[in-house]
Amino acid sequence: MATAVRDKASAVIGKLKSLILGTGDRNISRIRRRRKLTALLWKSLPALIVTLLSAGYFWMLAIPLPQLGQRTYIDENALQPGQVRTYWDWADVHRADQYLEGLEQLRGRNASSDEIAQHIATEFEKIGIPASTQRYSFSTTAGVTNGTNAYAVRSSPRASGAEAMVISASWISRTGEGDGTLNLRGVSSVLALANFLKGYSLWAKDLVFVISDGYLDGMQAWITSYHGVPQSNMWAEPLELSSGVVWTALNIDYPGHSFSHLGVFFEGLNGRLPNQDLINSLFVITRHTAAVPVVVYDHMDPHEFPGIKADLAGIPEWVPGSLRENDDVVEYGYRAKNILRHANYQARGQASGVHGLLHQFRIDAITLFAVPAAGPHGFHAIGRIVESTLRTTNNLLERLHASFFFYFLVGTHTFLKVGMYLPSAVLISTALMFAGLRAWVEAGWVWERAAPEPEAGADDKAGTGEKKGGPDQLKGRWVTRRRPVLKPLGIMLATHAAGALLFFTITQPWFVAHQEAYAVPVFALFSALSFAPLLLSPPSSSSPSAEAPLPLLLRALTLCLASTVTSIISVLNFSLAASLALTLGIPLTLAAPAHSLPARLGKGALYACLALGWLVLAPGEVRRAVWNWEVLRVWFAPFVCVVYTPLMLQAAVVNVLPP
Amino acid sequence: MDFRLAFPALVAGRLLLAYTSLPDVLKNDHQLSSPLTSYSRLQEGVYLFQQGFDPYSGGPFRHSPLLLSVFSTVFPLTRFTSPILWTACDAVAAWALVRIWRARQNIAGSMRDTLVAASYLLNPYIFLPSLAFSTSSIENALCLTSLMFACQGRSSAALMALALLTHLSLPSILLLFPVSLLLLTDPFSHLAFPRPFVARIPSLPPLLAEFTAYFLGLCAAATLLCGNTTWVEKTWGAFLLLPDLTPNPGLWWYFFTEMFDHFRPFFLMVFSVHLLIYALPLCIKYQHDGVYATYLLLGVLATFKAYPTLSDPGLFLSMSALFPETYPYLRHPIVTTLLHLHASLLLPLFHNLWLTQGTGNANFFYASTLVFGMANGAALLDAMWAGLRVAIGEMRGECEVAQE
Repeated sequence: MATAVRDKASAVIGKLKSLILGTGDRNISRIRRRRKLTALLWKSLPALIVTLLSAGYFWMLAIPLPQLGQRTYIDENALQPGQVRTYWDWADVHRADQYLEGLEQLRGRNASSDEIAQHIATEFEKIGIPASTQRYSFSTTAGVTNGTNAYAVRSSPRASGAEAMVISASWISRTGEGDGTLNLRGVSSVLALANFLKGYSLWAKDLVFVISDGYLDGMQAWITSYHGVPQSNMWAEPLELSSGVVWTALNIDYPGHSFSHLGVFFEGLNGRLPNQDLINSLFVITRHTAAVPVVVYDHMDPHEFPGIKADLAGIPEWVPGSLRENDDVVEYGYRAKNILRHANYQARGQASGVHGLLHQFRIDAITLFAVPAAGPHGFHAIGRIVESTLRTTNNLLERLHASFFFYFLVGTHTFLKVGMYLPSAVLISTALMFAGLRAWVEAGWVWERAAPEPEAGADDKAGTGEKKGGPDQLKGRWVTRRRPVLKPLGIMLATHAAGALLFFTITQPWFVAHQEAYAVPVFALFSALSFAPLLLSPPSSSSPSAEAPLPLLLRALTLCLASTVTSIISVLNFSLAASLALTLGIPLTLAAPAHSLPARLGKGALYACLALGWLVLAPGEVRRAVWNWEVLRVWFAPFVCVVYTPLMLQAAVVNVLPP
Repeated sequence: MDFRLAFPALVAGRLLLAYTSLPDVLKNDHQLSSPLTSYSRLQEGVYLFQQGFDPYSGGPFRHSPLLLSVFSTVFPLTRFTSPILWTACDAVAAWALVRIWRARQNIAGSMRDTLVAASYLLNPYIFLPSLAFSTSSIENALCLTSLMFACQGRSSAALMALALLTHLSLPSILLLFPVSLLLLTDPFSHLAFPRPFVARIPSLPPLLAEFTAYFLGLCAAATLLCGNTTWVEKTWGAFLLLPDLTPNPGLWWYFFTEMFDHFRPFFLMVFSVHLLIYALPLCIKYQHDGVYATYLLLGVLATFKAYPTLSDPGLFLSMSALFPETYPYLRHPIVTTLLHLHASLLLPLFHNLWLTQGTGNANFFYASTLVFGMANGAALLDAMWAGLRVAIGEMRGECEVAQE
């Protein structure tokens, strides 16, 4: 009985085996299987590329969907946000008002930076905290920026001062990305807080109070001097007072008279984000300790204002009314607005506030932005929020490390993990990679018609005619051809060198000074480069059956390089990778030489515009990117010049070259 | 380009780079120098030695006593002298590579010489560690010199260089197999026409004896220099016991940071024996071509040895310039290239995310070392395949190679 069952079982297994593995010689069936698989893959490759590309783009559109994302939570148990009783009281508010009066007098008589810093340092000293000032100047191609910072260090009464927390305010608010609105109430809050916090002996970390001059420049001078990092175009007085390692920092931005909501800004230089625990703690404390509503950036939550929710969510007027009122649509619009704001900062590598400069030294920092309004909140709320948040970060025994560093904060309660959004850019980059590999294979093989006798130079893989030729198998066969890669590699190297030259050009004083005059000639000069290969290289003399055509090889290598860059940047700065995927994805996959010369030239010109159009169309953006690079070391400008533009120029060359 | 012009130009360019501020930026980079090849640690050891302390009594110094003696007496390490020495090492190595190429082709010079030299001098995996003054550059130079002497049939010089190399880096002792194979045969390319190894077994023992004599002599010198034998555990022991878990681009460190202590000895044994098992089979399979066997074994060492730096895979990749006959038979050169491109971008990026920005962690860097391992493995496997596939030649009609 048992043997019969066993026999039956082995017979069934044998049948299955022969079904899957085929009968006859094992090697032959293996080769057949491999050929079938490669043939299938090759046949479905174009469809696969389109699928991947569209899946990537649709995923990007789906990121703001209300169904995605999860609720925020506090991961680090040591934080215990909102668990303390706060002592900040109306007497402290009164003191803040007094400080504000002093500052308003300074503003009234148009005091110099030195005078203001001296005044603030004196106020710190009156409180009884060691204080000092620091003068600095940056020389950029756009001119010289001067200023004076004031700062004070309150040593920890309970610990050795190995760690520190920074409470800062810049003289100019972040309103309008530093349009000149003064942050007087932010500065007076810091002064009043210094006075208040000094009275408590529970601080386990040093408290460092910084009033930085200007918007971003002052803090850059202060923080680089604090860490002893030299910067060639910066002169700054060395700091007289020092403290320990800074783990967390809060930057207070309170430009208005009062505020209705407390917003948070968190993007740092070069796309670095602070640990999410810090933001979540602040939200918990603001809601529960100070009872102030919170918002992301200064975007009001549409659900809070049912009457104007569609406008708040940024849904355009032409959308039909029933859709405009739909909760899911409103939520989608609100999230998309937050994500776009985030991507705008992150992709440019721009800091969304003064806090962002601290990120370069591994300090988790955020800006508390008091959204200007007629009321009802003021110094009383902001003092309590900062006091409680400092008490929370005071609890830390190690750097913030639990929680998340890669996230999209789509609402005050909701965030997207890296796995929810990263695949979108990676899918597009995979599509580019497959397109590149396809072009590479195409470059290596050529279909030869009706040559019955095998020709010399036919490769060992000539047999693969079966896999590619299909029904045409009898009329011809696939033969290999050489793929000389030195020429396309030379072109790629030349475009990247041209990109470096372009970057050098736009950082020259003469260009920055007369940008309007020079933008068009520079644009024309570098666009002309993409037509240069047309003059330099006459059509290859060898026949296309012996050697792969240059544009095909260039296309293959460009696509592979673009894919690599996109997928690797995605872990460093997702928004930048997504912008790359958006801008490179379709143009690069569509780049191919046309047959008529005018069409080739037209396509080449179009691609050159895509590569270099920003020079003419966005002069302000160029100026800001150059300033960011020179003062803050944001590598967005060099990245665009040395990576994005050359890749697009290579695509232009592919279009221009004769097929 | 003319070799006599291009070679000095390349070397001069390298020397100039070494006098910029680049070395100061690179010299503490984990990917460019391991604890066993680090320049800073070497300086520390030399300083301790000159102050009369035993440098091997502490943790950080793990270089060979021979390097200690050279750098504390005849060749002081300064910001002026170091660029000269490290550039010279690279020049010697590149020169040796060209000589190996010539010996292999049995010619006095060719158009390809410049390309061969450039493949070594312009390889970023080679010149970045060299700019970081990693002593792996010295090891690479010794390895290629030994191979060059072996190709020229100068057995004593080859064995002496190999003994020195083994002294600096213990896993290199595995090269004794293919190098003696090479000494017993000829350096010419037999990949296309394999032939069985004509055994001249009686001439093997003298070679091994000579190597042993050199090796023991160097050991004796080292022991005399130190006055005791603690250096053995600190230098060679490190390859087997992995005491220092500083991250590097290899595959060992992360595995052993995660390991429970009671499994450690077993897996140390497994990892070390794993290296051993490749040597003999490779020498048997590629018995017709000693240079190719050495090349493949270097690839194995670069992928799997204990404290690799980028210069180990760099040596393997640069050496592939010696075997143009295998290129048409490589199965996936573009995949290997792309893997290396990804790995060489991911390694510094994830290192930065973990240790500078603080937004990543050790797993990020480990993942990038895995990509790097895959890239090295892909290059190695493809080289193995192509090296055998050459012999079958071009196929006509409906044939395909099932097994080599």
